[in-house]
This record gives sequence, structure tokens and C-alpha cells, in this order.
Amino acid sequence: MSIRKTIKSIIAAILVLSMMLALTACGGNNQNSNQGNNDSEDAKTRLVVVNWKDYGSDDQKVIEYFEQQYNCEIIHEYMASEEELLTKLRTGGVGKLDVVLPNASILPVAIQEGLLEEVDTSKLENYQYIFDKFMTLPENKKDDKIYAVPWVWGSTAIAYNSELVDEEIDSIHVLWDEKYKGMIAFRDDFNDAVMTAAIALGQDPSNPSDLDAIKQKLIEQKPLNRTYWKTGDEWSKLFANKQIAVGMMWSGQAASMKQAGEPIEYVVPKEGAIGWVDYWGIVKDAPNKELAYKFVDYMISKEFQEQWVRAGGPAPVNSEAVNALDEKTIEEMNLGEESLNKLYFIAYHGEDVKKQWNELWQEVKAQ
Amino acid sequence: MKKKVLLMSPAMFILFAFAIVPLFIMLYYSFMSDGAVAKFTLDNYINFFSKGFYLKLTWKTIKMSIVVTLICIVIAYPMAYIMAKVINKGKNLLLLLIIIPFWTSQLVRAYSWLVFLRDGGVLAQFLNKIGLITTTDMGILFTSKAAIIALVHIFFPYMVITIYMSLEKLDNSIIDASKSLGAKPIETFRRVILPLSSPGIITGAILVFVPCLGSFVEPRILGGVNGSVIGTVIEDQFFEIYGWNFGAAIAFILLAMVLLSMGGMSLLLNTEKTRSKSPAS
Repeated sequence: MSIRKTIKSIIAAILVLSMMLALTACGGNNQNSNQGNNDSEDAKTRLVVVNWKDYGSDDQKVIEYFEQQYNCEIIHEYMASEEELLTKLRTGGVGKLDVVLPNASILPVAIQEGLLEEVDTSKLENYQYIFDKFMTLPENKKDDKIYAVPWVWGSTAIAYNSELVDEEIDSIHVLWDEKYKGMIAFRDDFNDAVMTAAIALGQDPSNPSDLDAIKQKLIEQKPLNRTYWKTGDEWSKLFANKQIAVGMMWSGQAASMKQAGEPIEYVVPKEGAIGWVDYWGIVKDAPNKELAYKFVDYMISKEFQEQWVRAGGPAPVNSEAVNALDEKTIEEMNLGEESLNKLYFIAYHGEDVKKQWNELWQEVKAQ
Repeated sequence: MKKKVLLMSPAMFILFAFAIVPLFIMLYYSFMSDGAVAKFTLDNYINFFSKGFYLKLTWKTIKMSIVVTLICIVIAYPMAYIMAKVINKGKNLLLLLIIIPFWTSQLVRAYSWLVFLRDGGVLAQFLNKIGLITTTDMGILFTSKAAIIALVHIFFPYMVITIYMSLEKLDNSIIDASKSLGAKPIETFRRVILPLSSPGIITGAILVFVPCLGSFVEPRILGGVNGSVIGTVIEDQFFEIYGWNFGAAIAFILLAMVLLSMGGMSLLLNTEKTRSKSPAS
């Protein structure tokens, strides 16, 4: 009997603890949202920015500089996913938010639904310095009008451990190389998987012609892996423990691992690799349109972009900012135009294509 | 009497608002078509049964869950028996030790196994030191074995506790009677103790088997390239492509299987009960 009592009291204690945790978690959230809606200072113009947390624009120094320069106040609202941003814009964001950061996965939808202002690039002094490659991407345009400004970019390509690999890797086919059997880490992501296989097969990664061939190619690759990885943390651990020698990796994480002294080499293979861009968009009927232009212009300025990339940020779109870095850094971090022009940027896909690609990848994993 | 029934209402309300209602919302989603205008459709269910690999994965998941459940019974029964019948002191401490893992998150426990099981990891180095293996490579991590080990670790406490409860209820004098009537220990166990503790085993099996069917964290983190189970497919539907409709349909197919297996097991439980009652009457 006493034991049953003990169990009961233990269960009760667990329940109470979890309730307390839940309550404190709620409390934390409330505090955050209060900060966002603080109405105490009305004197200054307020610029509402939606971005990821800890992603360049919410750096304390950056905010202070911009606020002083234009006598305003920047308020950040954070998003946890691109879908969330789209929902924010659809449900009351228009006319309330000023600047937002969409990528290719939602940008065409947002433009189509009229959630973003057309961008008058003549108002952006730094627009001319953006690499030409970005002018060719279709996602931020509609009827030859521009609706969003490229900000930073990166790639998903090949990284390897230079202590375990004693050759210069320059081809994507290394992921299919029997020599590295059991030491490869492919990414568990349907988009990355389909695009990478398409690049290896010489198909158009944005619009692959033969999905069956891609499926076969991925099934062929499967037994060569140590494992599939999903989060950057998983990759770091596998790499640090020398469980993998080569695999798919993000440019940003490879750069910061290299900075931390890991023996990691990052290459954009000669066949090409996957690229991504984040864009700043000005929200339709933004309360402070002029200030929004100033903000976007500052975000793509050489000054800001150089400072951020030096602090470990992603690759700048501003060619002047890249040119200000030394040759070695540009080459090592693949920031230059040569790497950039090899990339196939992730294109917008409708629900049907996403479903199809995801199902293909599930089938590969289920084999 | 009525007042006492009213005391249930907060719990019933929470159950209704946060479990029953969302369940029906998901059921609704599972019959909706994708696209801007959602219409009633059976496509989600048809898609599941028309693609062979979904069924293959489901079968793989069921097999994995059965293995986990059996291992749990084998590990938990002796432990529960010793706690209930052999030792007198230290029961509370043992119970506490069993419950402590519940205090850390499932994700953290899965990651701990990652550190523990990897080649050159803690376990490999230990086995190497004591001379059981010659290298520090074990090849367990990133196979389905690793996922099964982690799942057993996470779910076996349910089994220990339910078996312990049923053994604790078992009157010691029945065992003594069996012994004094000349039954050997094995016979006592097979004909007296095991039948009387089977409700605990069956309840434990349900508590292990059902969540195992829906698990996705351990197989994905520890299972390597063959870590796909039906749970990871559902996870990917919801988190990767916002495919709520199809995700909900798979979840309901799984739920239907769970209910069927539960029904089967409770049938088993009832026959056990009537069987164990009839000799007494």
C-alpha cells in the first residue's frame, strides 16, 4: 500500500512540475509579445521588421546605428517558418508590418496575392552593387516588376574532412563514390535530395525531367551513407567524431566550423550545387514606406554586409562587400562570383510538386 | 454520489477540449483535398493503400514494435518479480530509479544513445577495454538495432510498473499453497504466477506497443538510412510540406490499427479473467 502511495505522490510531483514548467513557458511568451506591442514611446517613427531571430538585422549595434541615423525605432517580430510569415501577411500584416524577409518558397505566392509593394530600385543607392546572377532569378519578379530585394545567399554543396580525405574533391559524384562507403552523410530533405540527384544526372534541378532516374540514383546512393542528417548539430557531431568523411553541407555552417578550427573543406562542385537567397520585401501599404526603403538600402550596403560576413554571417549580395575581403577568404568561403554562378537556386514549387518530391524521397528512404 | 461524479468534470473537460475535439478536427482534415478550395475526398486514404511502400513501412513499424514489446516483457518481468516477491527493502529506491528517466526529455535520451552507442563511443571503448571486442567499432548505431534499444529503454518502465502492480496484488499464500501441494517452482510459475500476472503483462504490452507504433524521434536519430518508420512519414508530412490532409489520413489509419490491436488484446484480457475466475468458483 505504501508503495502505491509513493507512486501516487511521485506521479503527482511530476504533474505539478510539468504544470509549473508549462506556466513559466507561457509567462515567457507573454513577456516577449508585450515587448513587441509596447506603446509607451509614440514620439519616434516605428519600423516593424519581420525576420528570423539572431539573423543580422536584430544585432544590437545594427539597430542602434540605424535608429540614431534616422531617428526611429526598429521593432522586430520573429518568424519560425516561412509559412508563418505568409500567414502573418495574410492575416492583418498588410498595412501594419513594414519590412519582411521571405524566400523563394513563399515569395511568388506573396507577390501573386498582392501582399508586397513593388520595389522602386532607383530609391536604393546600393542596388547597383548586387551581383548580376540575382537579377536573373524569377522568384522576386512579376510582369518585369521587382517586388523584393536580394539580401544574403548561401549554398548546399559538398564538405569533407581534409584529414580523412587525401584528394581534392571537385565533383558531386563523390557522394556516389564506393571509396567512401560508410563515411558519407547525405541530407534528409526531399528538396536537397531531388536537386542534388538531378545535378548529378545533368537534369535541370529546378524542373527535373526524369523523376524515376532521380529515384534510382538516390536508391543507389543510400547504402553508401553512414546516416542521413537533418539538423546542423547532427552533422557537427558526426564530423567531430570522424564518423563521416564527406557529405552535403551548408556553406554557412562549413564556414563557421572552419573558423572554429575544424579540418573542414567546403566546395561547390563543378557540376553545380543548390543555392538559396533571402529577400527583403516591403509590405503592401507599409506605414513607413520611405523608412523601409532606407532600411533595405542599409541592409544591402557594403558597410553592413561586410561587417556581417566578417562576423560569420551568410554570403553578401553586395559585390563591393565581397571585394573588400581578401582572396583567400572569398575562395575558402565560396563567396565569389565564380561559385555563385555555378549555383542552381531553389525555385518556387507548387504544392503538387512538393508532394511528389516528398513522396519520392519517402519511397527512397523506405527501400 | 452526484457530487463525486461532478469532481470528474475538469478532467473530462480537458480531455474533451484538448483530445477529443482536436481528434475530430484531424479526422475532418484527413478527408479534405489539398489546394485552395478544399473538398471532401477519399484520395488521401486511397493514396496510402495504392502506394506499396507505405504499407511496407507500416508492416516494418509493426514488426519493430512487436520486437520492442517482447524485449520489454523479457527484461521487465524478472525485475518486477524480484521487486514484488523477493526483496523487502529498497523497493521505493528501485521504483524511483525506474521513474527517473521520465524526467528527461525523450529527445535528450535519444541523443544520449547517440553518444553511447557510436563507434568509438562510451560503450565501444568499455567493451574494448574489458576485451570483449577487439576494435572500437560496433556498427550498432545507425541501424534499426539502435532504434530498438532506445525504444526499449524509453518504454520498459511502463512494463515494469504494470507487471509489478499485478504481482503485488497476487496473494503470497496462493504461491505457498501451490508449493505445499507439491508443485515445482517452474510449475508454480507457469500455472499460478504467470496466469495471475498476465493482466499486468497485457496492459504493459498495450502501453509499450501503441506509442511504439507512432514513434519517430528514435528511429530518425538513431536508425540511420533505414530509420524510416510510419511515424517519420507523418512527421515529414506535417513539418516538411504542410501536408496536413495526407498526414492526418496516415495518422488515422495508424489509429485504426491501434484500436484493432487494443480490441484484440482486451479480448485476450477478458478471456484471461474469466479463465482465472472459473477455477475459483
